[in-house]
Formats: sequence, structure tokens, C-alpha cells
Amino acid sequence: MAHQHHSATEEQDHDQEQAQEYEHEHDHKQITDSDGVTVESALVGDGLELSYPASEETIVDCARLDIPEAAVTALVGPNGSGKSTLLKSLSNHLEPDAGTVQIHGEDLDSFSQKELARELGVLSQENDSLGSITVEDLVYHGRYPHRGFFDSVSEEDHRAVNRAIELAGIDHICDTELGQLSGGQKQLAWIAMVLAQDTDVLLLDEPTTFLDIHHQFRVLETIRQLNEQKGVTVAVILHDISQAARFADYLVAIRDGELYDWGPPEEVVTEQLLADVFGVEATVKYEPELQVLPKQALPDNRL
Amino acid sequence: MAEAQSIDEHAAVREREGWVTGRLVLFCLASVGITVVAGLVQVSFGEYSMTFVEAWKAVFNPTVIFSLDAWSAFLFGTELPDMSTGSVVVWNLRLPRVFVGIIAGATLAVSGAIFQAVTRNELASPFILGVSSGAGFAILATLVVFSGLSHLLPLVAALGGTVAFVVVYMIAWKGGTSPVRLVLAGVIVNMIFQSLQQGLFFFADDLGVVQTAIAWLTGSLTGTGWGEVRIAIVPAIIAIGIALAGSRQLNVLMLGETTARSLGMQVERVRFFLSAVAILAASVAIAVAGIVSFFGLVVPHIVRNTLGGDYRRLMVGCLFAGPALMVTADVGARLALSGTQIPVGIVTGLIGGPYFLYLMRKQQSMGEL
Repeated sequence: MAHQHHSATEEQDHDQEQAQEYEHEHDHKQITDSDGVTVESALVGDGLELSYPASEETIVDCARLDIPEAAVTALVGPNGSGKSTLLKSLSNHLEPDAGTVQIHGEDLDSFSQKELARELGVLSQENDSLGSITVEDLVYHGRYPHRGFFDSVSEEDHRAVNRAIELAGIDHICDTELGQLSGGQKQLAWIAMVLAQDTDVLLLDEPTTFLDIHHQFRVLETIRQLNEQKGVTVAVILHDISQAARFADYLVAIRDGELYDWGPPEEVVTEQLLADVFGVEATVKYEPELQVLPKQALPDNRL
Repeated sequence: MAEAQSIDEHAAVREREGWVTGRLVLFCLASVGITVVAGLVQVSFGEYSMTFVEAWKAVFNPTVIFSLDAWSAFLFGTELPDMSTGSVVVWNLRLPRVFVGIIAGATLAVSGAIFQAVTRNELASPFILGVSSGAGFAILATLVVFSGLSHLLPLVAALGGTVAFVVVYMIAWKGGTSPVRLVLAGVIVNMIFQSLQQGLFFFADDLGVVQTAIAWLTGSLTGTGWGEVRIAIVPAIIAIGIALAGSRQLNVLMLGETTARSLGMQVERVRFFLSAVAILAASVAIAVAGIVSFFGLVVPHIVRNTLGGDYRRLMVGCLFAGPALMVTADVGARLALSGTQIPVGIVTGLIGGPYFLYLMRKQQSMGEL
């Protein structure tokens, strides 16, 4: 596994260092950031090989993936690189052909479905459009894993829902039916539902795609607040690499189902990465802050 | 601390509205009203005619209502105590038919509502999914061939319904299923079972059995009495109770399979379990009233159009609207043509079919919920 990682990164010394660091981490089941500070991982994917039941083809082959505790990690990569697939296996929606996923050091398989839903919240990319449910009712569904078959709504449920609604900033549309909302408001409602689940780890699949810029920021700010106030671990797939670079604590770059690079944005985002992973020629500025300026698409010789 | 306080204040300002809305209460009251009026019409008219007042008096005759002997006769089939002719006609002949109508209406409506959520398909109903014809075939086979098992009719019906449902699902399933595939599979399985039903007629010895069988297949409450109430009441209460308790599960299921899974639901297990409940509910109705067409399909639609898609309300709505419509339809079936009774399934088919067509024309798209 490790040599694949090398081949993807050997063009850059910087990356090579990381690859070595990576091997080192592998032995100790722990990762360190560039300053040598140990980072605990909330979620670890180990030796994952993923494919869909209908096809033979392995879509993701990833030696090790870490989602650091209490940080925001963005998964980036081009369309079809396997980000969503990877996220599905991290959330137990897809059984890996090989490898394991651990949350806080325990195998996902050792949890019952409900127990897992109390640890791990997931928002998938496509949510069925329900017309006639109010935002508040939707958010209350987030309490599902906390309630038994015959349990009524508890005081704690009320509190969690109110907190989620407030955090997502959607008090004013609480009683509105989902069908009457804009795409951005809908997305905030779905996010509030996942927040009401009250989990330590949150996985979000492209929560900002198709939203206008205002709602993109609203969504990202909500996630950031949640992370800062409650120390929630977030793994989020973002379409826009420059947005991801500005927003996340860590980036995971994925190419063709393999982990290309991992680390803080300033280290991961390079002109080389943009060429290799995204197939674009771009300038990257590191001062005063990280900025990606894409220029043109490179000839498509990877396929 | 400050944050906690602001949240508390916030909660106080925006008190959560319960799911029991004024509209729901009104809807249920109206349904009860319709059921009572239709029931009174049903008990008043017939060969032994009474005025409304007489019928009303007979229904609320305290010597019957507070008589343990009478109730034990009704519910456990013991000897009927002496009572006036009016009381006998009302309590022993006409009212039980109304009760059977109430039970069949409620169970069919609830069954349709569950099937529509489980398959996320608004075209789903016990009839479309083959449950009705499967159960019908099983019952027919029991009547014609294994007549010794007739006290187990609901169970037999449930068995037949389950087999048909599983077959339909297996045909329609290809790594998931779509409303159209499901309906097509249902149509095919329905046709097969109908052929089997017709085939069974050749094995019937006398004309009486054939006539009963035909009444059965069209759905009829003619001649139903306390015996049918006794057969149906317990499984009906069980099925309805679970359905009501499961309405929150159905709501979560409506969020889509992926979301339901993310929220910690064991989707396949819940689907399977609730389908079983829906089959049981439909089988109860089929066992006592035969195949009443369109009922399980149309009633949830009427309720959904009035009360919205929240299953907590929808289920309660179905529980009240089903009996109201069934008893009313049965009044039509019994009294519309003087001198002869037609099966209630013909009435529901004649009204429900066109109503459904109207819905199809009115709505832009029909299929997925």
C-alpha cells in the first residue's frame, strides 16, 4: 500500500516527508501534524478497499485515512475520485471488501445501527425532496436514535432540537413546509436535523454544492461554529478546492480512489497537487493567506 | 450559562405545536358523525323497517347495552338472551354488519397507508401489491376445498397475502424498485391469482358455494354477523395498534432509505415488519368482507389530501375515515337498489375508480411519494 502512496507523491520532497511520516504513523496508530504534535483520530479507515455490489471494479483503495478529533477535515478530489464512496464506508453505509473503519478506536461493526447513529451523524448528498413536512418536524427526526419505539419526546429532545435550529439559524422558517423553501434553506434544515442527532462526529457529503454563495457560507459557518463550540469532529466533502483550503483544518486529497496527500491546507495545496489531482494549471499564493487561482485545464492525459 | 439561558427563553417563545391539529380533530369528528348517521340508516331500513327514533332507541336500548349475557352472546357466541324483535333485528342482524364494515374499513385504510409508505409509492395498496388476490385465492381454496379450516380464515388469508406480496416484491426487485415496476409486477401476479381463483370454481360442488365465492371476490358485507366480528376484532386491534405506534417509523422511512439508515433505523427490518402488519390488516378485512376494490388505495389519498403527509395524522385519519366510507358505501350497496343487495365492492369500485382517475388527472405526477 505504502509504495502506491510514494508513487503518487514522489515528485515533491515535501510530500515525500509526509509519506514517510505516514508510514511511521501507521505503525503507531497515531498521527502527528507538521509540528510534531500528536493528533488523535476520531475516525480511522484502515486498508480500505471499496466497491459497489453491482460491479467488480474497486473504486477506492486507501491504505489509511484519518479524520482528526475535534477538527474539520475536508475531502477534496475531482468528480468520480471516490470521495463519496469513501464517506459511505466511513459511515457504515457501504461494507468494505477489505479493511476496517474505527470510530474512537472501536470497530464500526461493533455498534448497533442506533448506537452508531448516536456517535456519528451523516448527511448524504442527495436528500429526497419531501414536500409536506415542516422544518421543525424534520429536525425532530434527528432525535430518532435517541428514542425507543414507544418513547415520547423528552425534555432533552426539545433542547437538542432547539439548539440545532438556533445553530443553523433557521428559527424563522421552523413552521414552514420543506416544499416551500429554497435549496439553501432546505440544506440548512437538513443540517439542523443532523445537528439534533447530537453526535461527536459528523460526515457531510457536499453540503454546499448547488447553493448560492450566501448559503454556502451559512452552511460552512454553522459547521465551523459547531466544531469550535462543541469540539465536534467534522469530515466534509467539498467541491471547491479553494473554499476547502480556506475553511478546513486538514485536507485529504483523493485521486482515482487513492489517498494522494493529507495534511494542513498550507502543506497540501500546491500547484503540483492542482495539476496532479484536479488537472488544472493554477497559481497558489500562501501570503497573506492561502489562495488558489485556477488558470486553465491541463490536457487530459491521465485517462 | 448565558447561552443556555438564551436557548431556554427561545424554547419558551416558540412552543412546539403538537401533531394533533384542530383540522385532524375536526376530520375525525366528521368521520365519526358520518359513520354514526350511515350506521343509523343501515339499522333503520330493510325488510323490518323502523323509524330513526325506533332504531336509535333499539341501538341504545339499555337492557341490551348493559346486559352481560347479550355481550357474551355477541362476542363469544353464547346463547342469546330474550329481547324484543326490534332489538334482535338491530343488535343481532344489522349492527354487526355495521361493525364489520367499521373493522374492514379501518384495517383496509391503514393497510393501504402502510404499504404506500413502505414502498414509497402512492399507487401501492393491498390490491395492487397482490395481497388481496393472494389472500382471496387462499380463502377461496379454504371455502371450496378445505372447508374445515374456515374458523382460521384471517390466518389463511394472511398466509396467501404474504405469499403473493413476496412474489410481487421478488419480481419487482432489482437492486431496489420503482413504483412502476412494483405496480406492473402486482398486475401480473394479480392476473395469475385471478386465474387460479376462477380455476377453483370448477372444483366447487354446488352452486351455493360458487355464489358465496363470487360475493367474496367482489367484496361484500351481506350476511355478516357477530361471527365475523369475533373473527376479526382481535387481529384488527393488534394490527391497528402496531400501525399507530409505528407511524413515527413510517415518517422516518419517508425521509428516504439513506437518511433513515443514517438515523439508526434498520430499514429492511422495519420495512419487513410493517409490511407484515399491513398484510395482517388487509387479511382481516379480506377474511370478513372479501376483496373490496380500490378502498385501500383511495382512502389514504383522501386523508393525505386533507391532512397532509405526516403519518401520525394520516394513520389516525385513516382509522376514522376508513370506517365512515366503508359503512356509507355499504348503505349504498344494501339500500340503493330496492329488493336486491349488491356487493359493497361494486360500490367502492364504481366510486373509487373514477375518483382515482380524477386524482391522476389533477396531479402533475403520480408514483413516488
